[in-house]
Amino acid sequence: MMAVGGILVVAEQAGGELREATREVVSAAAALGDSLGGPVTVAVIGQDVDSLGLAANLEGVDEVLLVSTSSSEFESDTWRQVCGAMIAGRRPAVVLAPHSVNAVAWAPAIAAEYGFGFTSDVVSFRADEDHLVAVREPFAGKVRVDVGFPEQATSILLLRSGIWPAAKAPGSALVSAFDVTVDASRVRTRHEGFEEVPPGGPDLAKAPFILSIGRGIEDKDNVQLFADLADKFGAVLGSSRPLVDAGWLESSRQVGQSGAVVKPQVYLAFGISGSTEHLAGMRQSGLIIAVNTDARAPIFNVAHFGVVADAMQVAEELNDLL
Amino acid sequence: MRIVVCVKQVGVLGDEVEFSDDGRSIDPEFLDFALNEWDWYATEEALRLREARGGEVVVATVGEERADSALRRCLAMGADRAVRIWHGGLDAQDPISIAHALAQIVEEEGPDLALCGVQASDTLDAATGAALAGLLGWPVVTVVTGLTCDPTSGTVAIRRELEGGLIEVVTASTPAVLTIQTGINEPRYATLRAIKQAEQKPLAVREIDQIEQAGAVIKTMYIPERSEHAEMLGGSPPEVARLIADIVKQRVG
Amino acid sequence: MSVLAAAETRASFQYLAGWEVALFYILIAPTLAVFGLGVWTLVRKYLEGRGATRLDRSARRVWSTITTIAAHMGIGRGDLGVGIGHLAVFYGFIVLFALSLILMVNDDVTRLLFHWQFFRAQFYLGFSLVGDLFGVALLGGLAFMIVRRAILRPRRLDYARRDGFGSAYGRTRYVVGDWLFLGWLFLLGAGGLALEGLRIAATNPAFEKWSPAGWVIAQAFRAAGLEGAAVRVPQHVLWWIHAGAALAFVAAIPFTKALHMLTAPAALTVKDEYAGKRLLPVPAQATAEEVGYSLIGDLSPVHLLDLDACTKCGRCHEACPATASGYPLSPRDLVLDLREYAEGSRGIRAAMHVRPLYASAKSVLGDPIHAETIWSCTACLSCVEVCPNGIEHVSMINAFRRRLVETGDLDTQLQSTLQRIADSGNSLGEARRKRARWTQDISPPPKDIRREPAEYLWFVGDYASFDERVQDSTRDLARVLQAAEVDFGILFEAEKTAGCDVRRVGEEGLWLTLAEENIAAMGACEFETLLTSDPHSYHTLRNEYPELGVEWSVLHHTELLLRLIRAGRLRPRRTLSYRATYHDPCMLGRYNSLYDPPRQLLAELGVELVEMPRNREDSFCCGAGGGLIWQKDTDRAGLPRASEQRIAEAVQVGPLDVFVVACPKDLKMYEDALKTSGHEGEFVIREISEIVAEAVG
Repeated sequence: MMAVGGILVVAEQAGGELREATREVVSAAAALGDSLGGPVTVAVIGQDVDSLGLAANLEGVDEVLLVSTSSSEFESDTWRQVCGAMIAGRRPAVVLAPHSVNAVAWAPAIAAEYGFGFTSDVVSFRADEDHLVAVREPFAGKVRVDVGFPEQATSILLLRSGIWPAAKAPGSALVSAFDVTVDASRVRTRHEGFEEVPPGGPDLAKAPFILSIGRGIEDKDNVQLFADLADKFGAVLGSSRPLVDAGWLESSRQVGQSGAVVKPQVYLAFGISGSTEHLAGMRQSGLIIAVNTDARAPIFNVAHFGVVADAMQVAEELNDLL
Repeated sequence: MRIVVCVKQVGVLGDEVEFSDDGRSIDPEFLDFALNEWDWYATEEALRLREARGGEVVVATVGEERADSALRRCLAMGADRAVRIWHGGLDAQDPISIAHALAQIVEEEGPDLALCGVQASDTLDAATGAALAGLLGWPVVTVVTGLTCDPTSGTVAIRRELEGGLIEVVTASTPAVLTIQTGINEPRYATLRAIKQAEQKPLAVREIDQIEQAGAVIKTMYIPERSEHAEMLGGSPPEVARLIADIVKQRVG
Repeated sequence: MSVLAAAETRASFQYLAGWEVALFYILIAPTLAVFGLGVWTLVRKYLEGRGATRLDRSARRVWSTITTIAAHMGIGRGDLGVGIGHLAVFYGFIVLFALSLILMVNDDVTRLLFHWQFFRAQFYLGFSLVGDLFGVALLGGLAFMIVRRAILRPRRLDYARRDGFGSAYGRTRYVVGDWLFLGWLFLLGAGGLALEGLRIAATNPAFEKWSPAGWVIAQAFRAAGLEGAAVRVPQHVLWWIHAGAALAFVAAIPFTKALHMLTAPAALTVKDEYAGKRLLPVPAQATAEEVGYSLIGDLSPVHLLDLDACTKCGRCHEACPATASGYPLSPRDLVLDLREYAEGSRGIRAAMHVRPLYASAKSVLGDPIHAETIWSCTACLSCVEVCPNGIEHVSMINAFRRRLVETGDLDTQLQSTLQRIADSGNSLGEARRKRARWTQDISPPPKDIRREPAEYLWFVGDYASFDERVQDSTRDLARVLQAAEVDFGILFEAEKTAGCDVRRVGEEGLWLTLAEENIAAMGACEFETLLTSDPHSYHTLRNEYPELGVEWSVLHHTELLLRLIRAGRLRPRRTLSYRATYHDPCMLGRYNSLYDPPRQLLAELGVELVEMPRNREDSFCCGAGGGLIWQKDTDRAGLPRASEQRIAEAVQVGPLDVFVVACPKDLKMYEDALKTSGHEGEFVIREISEIVAEAVG
């Protein structure tokens, strides 16, 4: 189906609040709207959409669509139907959403089903003579690619968090309802609930100083050295994902997109190469010092100071010093 | 029950890179190849489901002949059969194109579950699984960190991991696509002997019927200019440790 | 004269009634029956094993055993006192035993059948002298052993476990058994001598001076009033005690430490001279249960025999670098644990229901053999080298590793290292393309042997290619070879790790794959000789790749460098008047007996070589082999690392300038150890190529 114009943002909520990632996408949409032209519409999907709709009324938004569904939480089949219907009805040129756990559960599905353009984990975009070009970073950011989209079709882009600024409130958007009849027989997943987060454990989000370790420490037995070092610094011990996967540390210590997003004053990273997932969780720290044997490790792109060395050796020296 | 695991042989880039003649991909000379990390976990999960419930595990991949070694790894772990599908005109860097090829295989196989990794470590789209579900018309649950299957009722009980470490509990009915997250299990080691013996297991090669439109097309690939980069500190470990301690002290007081 | 001549003899069984003599002969039957039953139970235990019995070239094997034991080289090694002591016991026992047989032949064969007694006159005198001398030697040797155990108490004989695991059986049983054996033999020897003294004391014939020891004792008895008829009762009683004790000793051989008299020669006879050096391939179609060892019945008959050949001498325990540095491995304890398991499940103890008993059908892995024990071995071969009885510890460990790998029971770090090797052909996690990066500073660059023929294909090795420090020595070697105008080439990225340690870790399939790939890459090149500077590569290329059909000659770089200097193609511009010590790498030394070329090379350069106490075959492993370098330090009870202990040994040698190594892993391990042991600055570690490069300028 041919796109007509305009930018549709599909909003996400967590715990009843509009997610920060959505605010970032809105400001990206506004910037895109300036170059491509066309109105910026934000769609909020859920049960109690009125308050969400208010929150979505941000600077740069022309229209807010309220889509009422039977569940307040995300459901992949429901959203596939809803977004498919919205795109069919509105025919936007571009659909934007955060590159998130839930977005990858509906956006690629309808893109494939309906033949839309699609790309994910976008770090920037531009309009080259009315053609949208998105930029992404495969191979852990060692290279970049410019991607283009099929002509005249709607394109769905999922944007990486932590790059665009969050759009500010308030906006002056028109708010209206968008009715979609969801075929319940084709809703084949059901949200059952959330698991209780066990109490206690380190409060990474509030810690002013975090010392994190990654695969570069090489052995489970080395964790203790870093725990001791963290104590000496008065820091909280953090970890990248692989160590948690391997069972070397509890998941409450994980810094990253799927763990804790932190902004401490000081972030010391030992043996962490800097996957996108991890960087998203700590790149906004005040002072970042990274130690890694790979001079090209992506973490050195966000760190303020870097050392190309073996994490263990440096840690042992630091331990002796303190 | 039958489970299809969609796996990928990914490229691993060192610290040198050159691009292909058309400037849209990396020259394979500069890549080492390995089975995608997420796919170890997905294969292991499928094997565990088979051990609990009986059935068959089929591994599938979209790739050239070189990708056979990734399939053999999975066969060595214990998968029953492998299928590889390819076409020279396929845009291997686009997840929608890949999903079309995978859909061809999954439709032929008719499994109860199709498992994919959350993402591939080279392209990092995290989209192929859901795209596959879209083409098949199946439900999809992403970033699965725990699952139990009940074939009699045709449902799967799933734990998935949201941002911030929040765990959501979801039920899905089969057939379904699930994208598997690392850490869900401990993948078994496939000895090279087992890999050699796996050469006896069936590995079928198919050709893609029809090349579909890609979701996005790479125009150019290049090395990013880094405007930001860390100030590198040099010296022996004791010297470096001293520098770090001083910098931290200055900041923290 | 004739009266004297006829009198030079002694009657057997004097003063014994006819029925007593008959009883004695009758008692031989149950003695042999018990002995035979014991031996049969053991032989059956061995034959229930799976695999090689190794009786090929039996004549040569038997001859080799005879010469080895006759010379006692293994037992005397490193401990002259024990060598002489055991030599005395051994020959004393053998000679006395032979003499008894000769006597029996005289009494029961020639006398009865041919009415001819040779046991008289000169023969008798010679026989007596020999008997006495060896009898005294036997007692002297035993006395030495007793003093050693009771008073000197060498650490080697301390049976205490040092691997941190307890055991189901107490070691007191061993200690008691040892003392019983020593004591029993001593009493037999002393009793025999006393009997002779009593016999001589009765009539004191002058010719009996030909039994000097017996003569002296007889005089003492006579002085105490034991002479003439007074001798009879003590002699009669002592005879039966002695006879009974002798029969009991023979019957009990299979059940006591005396068993080693049979099992040690047997184990030496079936020993694999390439044990551990040339590992046997796994058949391609073997099922998981056929790979390696898990059940006691999986052990080969040779290995089961080995378990019973162990005399707990402790040499392997002392020599093992893992034991010395606190790893949960002692080769001695491994062998003893397996012995107890074999005995308690299928051996004599099982037949007699003596605890502790074990189930044949249960895997020994986990309990009593811990996986950590198996993974602690550096495959240095010290244990096999030093064992006087031919026990093949390293082969057993390797077989257990194969099963652990097959079942995926290996730590995740080792797993990921093996995966990395399978994916990119090197253990350091580096991109394939980086392998030849070290050549960037070499001008002109080395020949690419994939494209051009050369005389030597230099197989560089992983650490020599990728590790920054070792690259210095690799570059030095390249420059030296170029200076000598050696025609060599390298494989660049086509080289993969030769797989020596992969095989030692038990990942046979990966070794095979690497070997096939390397052989294919090298097979496509034109060259005459394989050259390598890496002992691990050297070993497997030279000894194990040929089983896949290739027939290249392989040279170690020290051999080539020595030839070049002697031929004048390499001219040292300066004499290096260093005081240096040389560390024999396991893979070059014990594995391939290559000890002299590096030493001669250093001598040619004017280096003053001082040897460390443990050199050549006794060299002490740096601790990196057997895949240990892919595992990080575990809790080692606070003991210094093997490499640190070796540095301390070098320090003891006196002021040194250089510690010379010929192996990349040694270079890394010893440079680290020099720092961590606090001796940094006292001397430097240099690979031999670096020394040559310095001399050549």
